[in-house]
Amino acid sequence: MEAELDVSSSSSCGPAQLATPPLSIISEAELIDPAVAQRACQEVLQKQVKLRQVDDDSAHSQDEAEPAASHTVYVEKAELVESPAHDQKEAGTEESPVPHQEEVEPEQSPAPSRRRPRTNQSKQSWLLRLFESKLFDVSMAISYLHSSKEPGVQAYIGNRLFSFRDEDVDFYLPQLLNMYVHMDQDVGTAIKPYVVHRCRQSISFSLQCAWLLGAYSSDMHISTQRHSRGSKLRKLILSDELKPASARARREPPTLTAFSPPSDTALSPSKRTHQRSKSDATVSISLSSNLKRTASNPKVESSQEEDSDSCDSQDSPSPVRLAPQREFIKSLMGIGKRLAKLPTKEQKTQRLVSELSLLNHKLPNRVWLPTAAFDHHVVRVPHSQGVVLNSKDKAPYLIYVEVLECENFETSSVPVRIPENRIRSTRSVENLPDCGVTGDQRGSFSVVPNYDNDDEAWSVDDIGELQVELPEVHTNSCDNISQFSVDSITSLENKEPVFIAAGDIRRRLSEQLAQAPTTFKRDPEDPSAVALKEPWEEKVRRIREGSPYGHMTSWRLLSVIVKCGDDLRQELLAYQVLQQLKSIWEQERVPLWIKPYKILVLSADSGMIEPVLNAVSLHQVRKQSQLTLLDYFLQEHGAPTTENFLSAQRNFVQSCAGYSLICYLLQVKDRHNGNILLDAEGHIIHIDFGFILSSSPKNLGFETSAFKLTHEFVDVMGGADGDMFNYYKMLMLQGLIAARKHMDRVLQIVEIMQQGSQLPCFHGSSTLRSLKERFHMSLTEEQLQLLVETLVDGSMRSLTTKLYDGFQYLTNGIM
Amino acid sequence: MSQVEKKAGLLRRTSSSKKTLKEKVVLMYDEIFAKEDPAKNNPRFWDELFLMKVNLEYLESKLETVDGEEVQRIQYNINSLFHHCVQALGEEHQIKVVNALQTLCALFRGVHQKNKSASGFDIINMLMGFDKAEQRMKDLMDRLDSLLCGDSSESLKSLCLKLLLCLVTVTDNISQNTILEYVMINSIFEAILQVLSDVSSRGQHGYDAVVLLALLVNYRKYESVNPYIVKLSIVDDEPTLDGMGMVVHQALTEYNRQYKDKEEEHQGGFFSTLTSMMGNMFIADADEKLSVQTNEAILLALYEAVLLNRNFITVLAQSHPEIDIAATPTPTNPTTPTTPLGTTPPSLDMMNNPELPLDPNLQTSNLLITFLKYASIVMQDTKDEHRLNSARLCLIILTCIVEDQYADRFLHDDNMNFRVNLHRMPMRHRKKAVDKNIPSRPLVCALLDLMVEFIVTHMMKDFPMDLYLRCVQIIHKLLCYQKKCRIRLHYTWRELWSALINLLKFLLSNETTLLAKHNIFQLALLVVNLFNMFITYGDTFLPTSNSYDELYYEIVRMHQVFDNLYCMVLRVSTNTGQWKEAASKVTHALINVRAIINHFNPKIESYAAVNHISQLSEEQVLEVVRSNYDTLTLKLQDGLDQFERYAEQPKEAAFFKELVRSISLNVRKNVSLNTLSQDVLLKEFSTIS
Repeated sequence: MEAELDVSSSSSCGPAQLATPPLSIISEAELIDPAVAQRACQEVLQKQVKLRQVDDDSAHSQDEAEPAASHTVYVEKAELVESPAHDQKEAGTEESPVPHQEEVEPEQSPAPSRRRPRTNQSKQSWLLRLFESKLFDVSMAISYLHSSKEPGVQAYIGNRLFSFRDEDVDFYLPQLLNMYVHMDQDVGTAIKPYVVHRCRQSISFSLQCAWLLGAYSSDMHISTQRHSRGSKLRKLILSDELKPASARARREPPTLTAFSPPSDTALSPSKRTHQRSKSDATVSISLSSNLKRTASNPKVESSQEEDSDSCDSQDSPSPVRLAPQREFIKSLMGIGKRLAKLPTKEQKTQRLVSELSLLNHKLPNRVWLPTAAFDHHVVRVPHSQGVVLNSKDKAPYLIYVEVLECENFETSSVPVRIPENRIRSTRSVENLPDCGVTGDQRGSFSVVPNYDNDDEAWSVDDIGELQVELPEVHTNSCDNISQFSVDSITSLENKEPVFIAAGDIRRRLSEQLAQAPTTFKRDPEDPSAVALKEPWEEKVRRIREGSPYGHMTSWRLLSVIVKCGDDLRQELLAYQVLQQLKSIWEQERVPLWIKPYKILVLSADSGMIEPVLNAVSLHQVRKQSQLTLLDYFLQEHGAPTTENFLSAQRNFVQSCAGYSLICYLLQVKDRHNGNILLDAEGHIIHIDFGFILSSSPKNLGFETSAFKLTHEFVDVMGGADGDMFNYYKMLMLQGLIAARKHMDRVLQIVEIMQQGSQLPCFHGSSTLRSLKERFHMSLTEEQLQLLVETLVDGSMRSLTTKLYDGFQYLTNGIM
Repeated sequence: MSQVEKKAGLLRRTSSSKKTLKEKVVLMYDEIFAKEDPAKNNPRFWDELFLMKVNLEYLESKLETVDGEEVQRIQYNINSLFHHCVQALGEEHQIKVVNALQTLCALFRGVHQKNKSASGFDIINMLMGFDKAEQRMKDLMDRLDSLLCGDSSESLKSLCLKLLLCLVTVTDNISQNTILEYVMINSIFEAILQVLSDVSSRGQHGYDAVVLLALLVNYRKYESVNPYIVKLSIVDDEPTLDGMGMVVHQALTEYNRQYKDKEEEHQGGFFSTLTSMMGNMFIADADEKLSVQTNEAILLALYEAVLLNRNFITVLAQSHPEIDIAATPTPTNPTTPTTPLGTTPPSLDMMNNPELPLDPNLQTSNLLITFLKYASIVMQDTKDEHRLNSARLCLIILTCIVEDQYADRFLHDDNMNFRVNLHRMPMRHRKKAVDKNIPSRPLVCALLDLMVEFIVTHMMKDFPMDLYLRCVQIIHKLLCYQKKCRIRLHYTWRELWSALINLLKFLLSNETTLLAKHNIFQLALLVVNLFNMFITYGDTFLPTSNSYDELYYEIVRMHQVFDNLYCMVLRVSTNTGQWKEAASKVTHALINVRAIINHFNPKIESYAAVNHISQLSEEQVLEVVRSNYDTLTLKLQDGLDQFERYAEQPKEAAFFKELVRSISLNVRKNVSLNTLSQDVLLKEFSTIS
């Protein structure tokens, strides 16, 4: 049990603590000591086991969710378990719900647990043993947390969360928070300490939580929403009271702080905030009000919290720790909203560029892209690179962001801002001597052979230096001409004329045009096509060259799609399912290829998406190249027998198989060619999971086939009789078998998110059941194989796919 | 208030004697111009003087009437007036400060007016006294600096800048203004920058500040080390540079807007038929009211910034939203420098407004676009001297811009597409292009369009040779950049080719008249070398392989022009004369063009003969061209991709001297007109005091 033992220290040792009896030691900063809490939980469990034996009650199995192992043996609710601690906890909750609840129980319960000898472990229920076993992972914990109705179990798991790796839990954060928002009090109580603890540690976790809580609370009725648990926790997080206070307080002995004069303790945290705010504050944030609010007295805090509850929380100034990032996100969203009001793509694009240049100008200090995989600081937005993506009435857009990688974005120092013009710093200085010089010296012109890509060109004044000047940038083999011209300069004396054939020039021109990576032509109606077609490495190099930060080794380029006005919660769900299936397939060593792309839900109608690199949509491929998919493959990857083509084809098949399964299992609809990407290696990637599970666009009844498999696809695979096509079907079968084996890990994700959700994908009552049915638990492998055959066959022959494409072409112009 | 005063004055007048009443301040001036020290009898004389409303006209005229001998006599008093003015600038009492500033204005002007021929040292002596001059001017500059940088009233700051402008422009030739030596030593550069970096002060005084800076930079710029040049060249503070760019942007936008308004005015209604009949004559007449002269100073500032400060180039590309012409509220009278940018301060400021105003009519713009539009207007008509100067300055600025690689990168950035509505001269043989059809393209296309437009529209008797040279050189520099960086610009090069060929044709047909004034061979050489660039390096920057074929097609089609040109230069180069050498250079440059013509013409003829076609279609000619490349050998010419870098000295020095003189005169005229009425100021301060 790798519990974090030292979380329990007290940052907030206000005067109240001194005066009042232990029962009211309810500073919100105090956390459960996980070890202690865990022991308490075991206690509770054991008690229940005994109870059950006495009552001879049969196990009450949970109805709907019957996860993989037949484990549902644990106990129904017993009145006895309602320990006194529990009562107090609930009483506490009613008074001041936010900060106080969680500590009480663990503070109370350890007492009996210590008294009890720990010898009767052998008698523990096997459930407890499961919980303690090495096999017990986050996935199981989440599952039990959801299915168990037993507060004790829930509390136990709530504490067990501390022992998992952060990254593991992070994956299930949507589930955790959705449970927190929509399930009963006990689950909330169990989860909250963990969430609060993590919020203290990390700004990004705090914001992540706040955004998700906001998004998941939005489905509640408006009247309840405001006072719901989720909204309150969100408010607490955003109020920035969850500071990493414990980290500092830990250094000093707790007794000392407890007895130190109140004025002193009241001062120290505010000092701290002040220092922090200095480093982090953006110009626009007023500090005064925040300083007051961070006073350590919990009483004051809670009353203020109540106050701000009554007034509109939106109006209160954002606290400093989270503020820069929130500002950053807010301005990105603002851009999206404003873009949506412009009528044409071209206007949108131009507007985006100027908005981004503005954003770049006033970029807050400590901000990051939440979709990135590493810690970093955003230093620059290359504004001219932003593109508006294709969408009918909204304005999603893609931006590139230059970042500097760092150890930890919270503690690493913020990079110094380099002005935009810093790359070019010497010309003026060189001009200076000129001011003093008079007459003949300046009469001579400096002849510069040409521009050079670096600044050196400025200093070349002497013709003698020209000879050294070689066009290094393009040391291309076919660059004979420049070679010649340099040669001819060096051999000025002999005056030997150099001759070239006009045919060579013409040939080089067409060769170089053909050699250059195929680019798409600029189309004002589809500005993103060109930007997305450019190879990522190329783009990175290009942007790096033009960036004042480009010389730094930690420089990275990231990109993100900002969506405004779209609900990304379904996308997030799809991402989780895809990610889960991907890891299942990896675990089972099935070479299916899928690319889950990261989703950041910011609210119920906004968010960010991690773009798929080096990929353009099939629609764009078609429109730009005017080729069939196979011909496009041949153009991009070479003849059918080349290694390039074969590996692209293999990639295509593996990704097709992966996505076919995904489409079938999740019932992904709206599969027109604008929603399917093709990357530079031949993989296809499905995007836009706006219609999954129980929802389909406009319910026109199109797309009845299991997944999209057009003849074009089959052609790329080498025809319906080819080996690759068989490989495709074989992959699907293997993938299905593997997925079936771990079905619960998939189901659980969906099931928990269904809780309290109004998302269209959960429409109707049979969503989960149908999903489960699609795993076909009852079929033998032979039968499954048959099933795959039928699915593939049906999809291939499906008229509706074609019909749907035609429909899309007519209505949206998507080819 | 004023009515009461008036009444009081009337009453007094009736009661007093018939003796002509003199203002008290005038009496006090008289005292100064007397021999005695005015403070002798009245110790509070100076205190009282600065409480009086200044009578500038009287003071100035008084100064002007002083004779040489008298000067000696009253020098002490004038020195002391100057001294007390400077001291009054430090007063808390704002009225005193205002009056002191105005008095100083009058002093500078009056003394210079009188002593136009006098040396700068005499003037300094008369104003301040030699021994004290250094200290006095240091104090003055310090006071002005703190007034400009402090949080004093905006009107006060404006007056400070007016005083400085007044001081800088008192002489026709700025370099002869010896007092400025003290302004060089006691720099107010930082104060000017501060005015420009702050949003609100920029709105109100930005124009003055920029003009002042442009003038100061030109003080003895060729003879000595001018600290303003040095300082301007190393500024790297983004807000300040942006501010400077913004002021220029606003001024040019305002002009463009007015021009467009005028143009639309003429096109609408009754006049529309008339205009089309009378052609550009009419438009040119109407334009006279829209003087480009006021913008000479702004252009000069832009030039100095682009030339001296390489950081400024980034400002050119900085996007601003541009208010659509239709959306702008009440047009203001911009020709007076007091409100050169319209009445409203630039509310669309980037640094201030977190969000750009949302208006679908808003077109993104930047300084470069605005400048290109402005240039397109100015270049339309180069007949009058100011317009010619402005057009030349525009081309010089463009030259500096295309020599900067950062600017080039921005110009060629495929991601930065703009619609640039260049203004085109209405001409008989072509229709005005409809604005809406201009595609959104990289900015360099607009620049090339502008150059092509210029080439096409200025082939006239009074040939602007200098402008043509600059124009062709700009194109050459762009091509060099594209060749170097292998940028394949999707531009309709054909338009450029045919414009250039037409230019050659014009040179040929007006050979005799032109040769009397210009070296046409220099221009011809540049043009031919542009073709050589395309012929020998086309593989590095042409967008399609077809475009190379089209180039040959165009040359072969217009072979007559090249043939004639060759004949002409051959003739000139074989005769002895002043153009011998220049002409022979052109002969050499024509080698490849002639090789192409001589190679393909017979091929095309035989193709026509074989296929019995009298008139080959373009496609057929292209076919012949394509199939006969391999037998053609070209000669590689040296230094096609080399060019002279722009340098102000010594070629342009005279131009800039003259330009600065013209700007000085213009600024002086406007300052004197407007600083006099300070009622607003006094009203403002009356509440404070």
